[in-house]
Amino acid sequence: MPLPRQEVDATTPKYLRDKYAIAGVGETTYTRGSGRTTRALGTWAVRNAILDAGLKPSDIDGMLDYSGGDSTSATFIAGDLGIRLNFYMDVVGGGSSTEALIGIAIGLIEAGCCKTVAIFRSMNGFSQVRIGGTGARSAAPVSGDMLHNRAYGWQSAGQSFAPTFMRHMYDYGTTPEQVAHVKMFHSRHASNNPKAYYKKRFTVEDVVNSRFICKPLHLLDCCVETDNATCVIVTSAERAKDMKQPLVLIRGVVGRCNKPRLDMHYQHGPISTVAGHYAKNILWPNSGVGPEDVDITGSYDAFTFTTMLQLEDYGFCKKGEGGRYVSDGTIGLGGRRPNNTSGGHLCEGYTHGMNMVIENTRQLRHDADDSCPVGPDGKRQHTYDYREGGCRQVRNVEVSANLGWANPATASAMVMRRG
Amino acid sequence: MSDWSKVTRPIPVPNEWTQPFWDAAKRGVLELQRCQNCGHFQHPPYATCTQCVSTDLKFEPVRGAGTIYAYTIMYHTGDKRFATAVPYASIIVELDDAPGALMAGNLLNAEYTEAKVGRRVEVVFEKLNDDITLPQFRLADAASG
Repeated sequence: MPLPRQEVDATTPKYLRDKYAIAGVGETTYTRGSGRTTRALGTWAVRNAILDAGLKPSDIDGMLDYSGGDSTSATFIAGDLGIRLNFYMDVVGGGSSTEALIGIAIGLIEAGCCKTVAIFRSMNGFSQVRIGGTGARSAAPVSGDMLHNRAYGWQSAGQSFAPTFMRHMYDYGTTPEQVAHVKMFHSRHASNNPKAYYKKRFTVEDVVNSRFICKPLHLLDCCVETDNATCVIVTSAERAKDMKQPLVLIRGVVGRCNKPRLDMHYQHGPISTVAGHYAKNILWPNSGVGPEDVDITGSYDAFTFTTMLQLEDYGFCKKGEGGRYVSDGTIGLGGRRPNNTSGGHLCEGYTHGMNMVIENTRQLRHDADDSCPVGPDGKRQHTYDYREGGCRQVRNVEVSANLGWANPATASAMVMRRG
Repeated sequence: MSDWSKVTRPIPVPNEWTQPFWDAAKRGVLELQRCQNCGHFQHPPYATCTQCVSTDLKFEPVRGAGTIYAYTIMYHTGDKRFATAVPYASIIVELDDAPGALMAGNLLNAEYTEAKVGRRVEVVFEKLNDDITLPQFRLADAASG
């Protein structure tokens, strides 16, 4: 919903509401088998984001990226684009790093280290280091804390997270059919996204009838593994207002907020409560809004139930009602608060969170890249007809929330608004 | 029932913190790290007590009786060494004597469908080699299930 235009609380400068913007977004195609290095993919995505912002490479003077030892360095990408950097850092991280690095970028610019920061994630998540944990990752020796899982045949993200959903089902009566709606809605969204790797629409029955990976997770409860690079450009609102795209302002960020006992999250607090339970207490006060003000969400869908758990713990519904929230139509296009309108990780591609920020940025520009006709002004004329192959722009969207997930114990999040 | 006979489990490598846990398991005893200052049990072992940051930590025997707190049934193996056992149950157990130190394990000697939240289980010991014995779980007396 629309927010007041002038709301600057000078007594809380650390919150920096509306002072920074996402000025450009870009990505490669989403593939399985890119045939390219992460360096080539990253250069491609950063270039696209620079062009999207209407900038020259020399306008970028800061660069951040994240990986789990499966990618390239900002130094290579910058050099390949002829960029001289005033600040760069390659960060270890996977899911939930996107919003966290946007927070770091704001801090860097605020500290005067640089002016405009490109953040990228480049990965061959299917053809090189598979995110699902098969291949080389499963052959390493077992030491230290891994005594808690590896020797018991317990390793991948799905295997690690599944008990959280199982216990949620036990505690609150949540059903596999309810969370299967997440895949159903996201697949409908993806069918209106020409970029999506999987554009096929799935039903709830398709999901619960697909084979088990680790009960209660079926194959179609799990995200896709893809090869791709993605980039967002962060700069001050003051600079961004003169750039090519409609202003998309950052209201507030929370970065890599944790449950106690990050390594064994279930040793502290209920296993069915995730880090958003804590992150919400930073996100909403920093942003000056609450869940009721949010028009669209980007709740990380590594699995169907991760979307549900986060929406619940950030307060979009009461604790325990996440199953109802994700299944009653709220999160679908045409619903009250659509989630992951690009199709997200379940359908569009797996980017460790970047594509959900990119999508919400485009939504807030009122320029989702669907199949609607382009008008004389060069902008899509959205039909708001959400049938297969049609529009995916949400009408009159003003405020978005991205809820990033690394694991049940770690969350980042960001609220953005249309400028 | 899951067939574990052809599974070659990855062998845990003890470190300075976990060695007493493995030494006890080899003797067929479940010992967990306990803070001597505040009485908190924790697992896996750490350098400090996560409750009071005391470094006065000792290993104490606990009865291996507990309840399944959460679980998952594995149908797909990332680690191919487990391929012959699928589907199998991996469980998280809350011990009666050390509720703050949940333990992981497989549910042995039972159909994987027997894994349920709240089922009573007890520890058993699975010898992997001369050095490493793995604490595992089986259903406790059916009457208490």
